[in-house]
Amino acid sequence: MTDVQIAVMKVRDILLVTMPADPDDLTVTSLQDQVLQSMGKFNARGLVLDISAVESLDSFFARTVVETARMVGLMGGRTVLTGMHPSVAITATQLGFTLGNVITALDVDRALDILADTKRMPGKK
Amino acid sequence: MNSEMQGLVTILDESHIVTVRKTVRDLATRMGFGLTDVTRIVTAASELARNIFHYAGTGVMHWHILDESSRIGLELVFEDHGPGIASIQQVMQEGYSTSGGLGMGLPGTKRLMDEMDIQSQVGQGTAVTVKKWHQK
Repeated sequence: MTDVQIAVMKVRDILLVTMPADPDDLTVTSLQDQVLQSMGKFNARGLVLDISAVESLDSFFARTVVETARMVGLMGGRTVLTGMHPSVAITATQLGFTLGNVITALDVDRALDILADTKRMPGKK
Repeated sequence: MNSEMQGLVTILDESHIVTVRKTVRDLATRMGFGLTDVTRIVTAASELARNIFHYAGTGVMHWHILDESSRIGLELVFEDHGPGIASIQQVMQEGYSTSGGLGMGLPGTKRLMDEMDIQSQVGQGTAVTVKKWHQK
């Protein structure tokens, strides 16, 4: 039995979460709880979910990611998923799932850029 | 590193889905599959192991390395004594789901592998066999 802890880091007003390589279902589920509680606690306005260590993304994991992003959205935040491996992207597509409206970025730097852009008020570009 | 040609993993609780993934990843890597194929096989195994846990509670994954003259294959058989599948044709339809999932389980899994066969009897159980090949 693995006992993997997920660290939710707060960087300014963004939450940064790195998923472990091969998380069990409990770890994936606790991701959702921890993220949502941290959103409220830190008054965060965005989530960067980094999956660059993740070696395989099955439908349960993918569904939880999409759900979490939707819940973060209900709390007024935006989610950016980063670091998907090419092999994971190929497999996910063939398996048939889409990530819905979840924004993706190649790495954390770009994710922070995307979230910074949304901070600007309309018309003040 | 395991050098056997066959073996099994019992699926009794949720943590064994991770054991299945790890076992299959080690096997496929050792057999020389490329990274994308390894990821496909591991993901397919994860889906099938989760089906067992979800629908039957417990079961077993048997694995066999198939060594032919020009190609080598990995065969995975997921067996349970759960409720069985009433209509295999129905579960192989895109978008069909009884569990509120994404309904991509079996058709999606089939796309990741080279071969898939389902044997099932209502009240008796289910055996799903998948294979992936690569040239020597």
